[in-house]
Amino acid sequence: MNFLFRLLIIFIIPLSVFSQVAEVTIENLNARMDRIRDYSADALIKSDIPLIKILPVRATIYFKQKNKFRIKSKGIAILPKQGFLDLSELLSGKENYTALFSGFDVIGNYRSEIITILPAGDTTDLILAKLWIDPTGYLVRKSQITTRTNGTITIDYTYNNQNKFGLPDSMIFTVDVKKFKIPKGVATDINKISSEEEKKPTSKTGKIFIQLTNYQINKGLSDEVFQK
Amino acid sequence: MLLKSTYNEFIKIAAKPRSYLGLAAITILVGVILFALKVDGLSFISFVTASFEQTLSFEGNILNGNLVAFIVLQMLIIHIPLLVALVTGDLVSGEAAMGTIRMLASKPISRTQLLLSKFIAGGTYTLLIIIWLGIMSVLFGKLLFGSGDLMVLNSDGLVILPQSDINWRYLCGFAVAFLALLTVSSLSICLSCFTENSIGPIVTTMAIIILFTIIGTLDVRIFDKIRPFLFTTHMASWRSFFEEPVPMKDIYRSIFILIGHNILLLAISLNKFNNKDITS
Repeated sequence: MNFLFRLLIIFIIPLSVFSQVAEVTIENLNARMDRIRDYSADALIKSDIPLIKILPVRATIYFKQKNKFRIKSKGIAILPKQGFLDLSELLSGKENYTALFSGFDVIGNYRSEIITILPAGDTTDLILAKLWIDPTGYLVRKSQITTRTNGTITIDYTYNNQNKFGLPDSMIFTVDVKKFKIPKGVATDINKISSEEEKKPTSKTGKIFIQLTNYQINKGLSDEVFQK
Repeated sequence: MLLKSTYNEFIKIAAKPRSYLGLAAITILVGVILFALKVDGLSFISFVTASFEQTLSFEGNILNGNLVAFIVLQMLIIHIPLLVALVTGDLVSGEAAMGTIRMLASKPISRTQLLLSKFIAGGTYTLLIIIWLGIMSVLFGKLLFGSGDLMVLNSDGLVILPQSDINWRYLCGFAVAFLALLTVSSLSICLSCFTENSIGPIVTTMAIIILFTIIGTLDVRIFDKIRPFLFTTHMASWRSFFEEPVPMKDIYRSIFILIGHNILLLAISLNKFNNKDITS
């Protein structure tokens, strides 16, 4: 009985402490996020996706609490399907997740806490999220989102001008890219014979670089901006 | 004399109802495709981008006039040779069938000039077909769907070209497509010199195009040596202008081979027509 009690103490106390550390960090992160009612920013989007050739595109990003988000671009822009709103939506309510402190790591030159987020329900698409949070300013230096449908998306953040709001100056999305093939009937390049170069295996991950400038924070954004 | 004879050939082409068949067919076909894309174009696009859209999303107006024009050209450029051959395959053999070639050959014009005028008239008709196709696809496409970046659909990936970088590609693409169709025109006129009925050269031209296209499409090593020299291999080289970077070396090679075919077919036609025993 004594042994069992000790065993329970050994496992439960650290788990409880880890959970408390994580919750404090997430609370601080949420408090920073709550300072932003809305924002818009100019974005330069560069994509490096296997089998897609595209030049950098300029766009404007709009966000409004709690979950309104839109990217407007004159040209065609390629963006990750997930990674913009998933975390803020998940972290918006304590009942939605369980946060666990998983150790420390150095991202860039910043010592960061690794927080693992487990969604409360098993019906969500999101399976697991990992956040590397710099505890000195409560800035997310890196995040990793694993979903049922889209695999894993890793996002690296760099900050400069909007530190106090926790808004990044650049984000690098690393996404899983599945095998891509357009039927010849649709492409109709019927005379094209696949060359040895094309038969080489291509990278299974793609990168999307988003550089953000000219932030307009809490200036009041109309809901019409988000209507498509 | 050559100009006068060419003018006469234009009048003959203009007088034949079948000459308008090509223009009417392009108008109807493009009209149908534009209507279909206007009604359900987005599902067509999502069919193409579906494999990407599991992880990525495309922002901006994808279904715009530039993409619509590109889809129209891809679909129709395969069928245009028939519309060209329908008119040009008849230019010499039609005269033989009607019995007017003997009278034509007795006019104070050399047989070389006579045949050259038919080649020029056939080429001009081909140019008209291409211009009409351009007007219908690019102009009407942009009018109906607006302009925007072009998403080029290749079987091995996507190329997205900015709106400002597209018009010159269409112009150059149409020029190369014209050269390819001119080869079809030359082939059908050449075949037309060998027969005395209208249907023969038209059907033979299409049969040759189908045969060469099959040889070109089959990924079999035995055809590797001859594939680069078939004119059908280079008929789709207009698409190369929509690649990034533009493979100029490949385009120059295609132009060279297509011009070579035209010269060869003209030489064969001249040789045959000049030595032809016209008895009909």
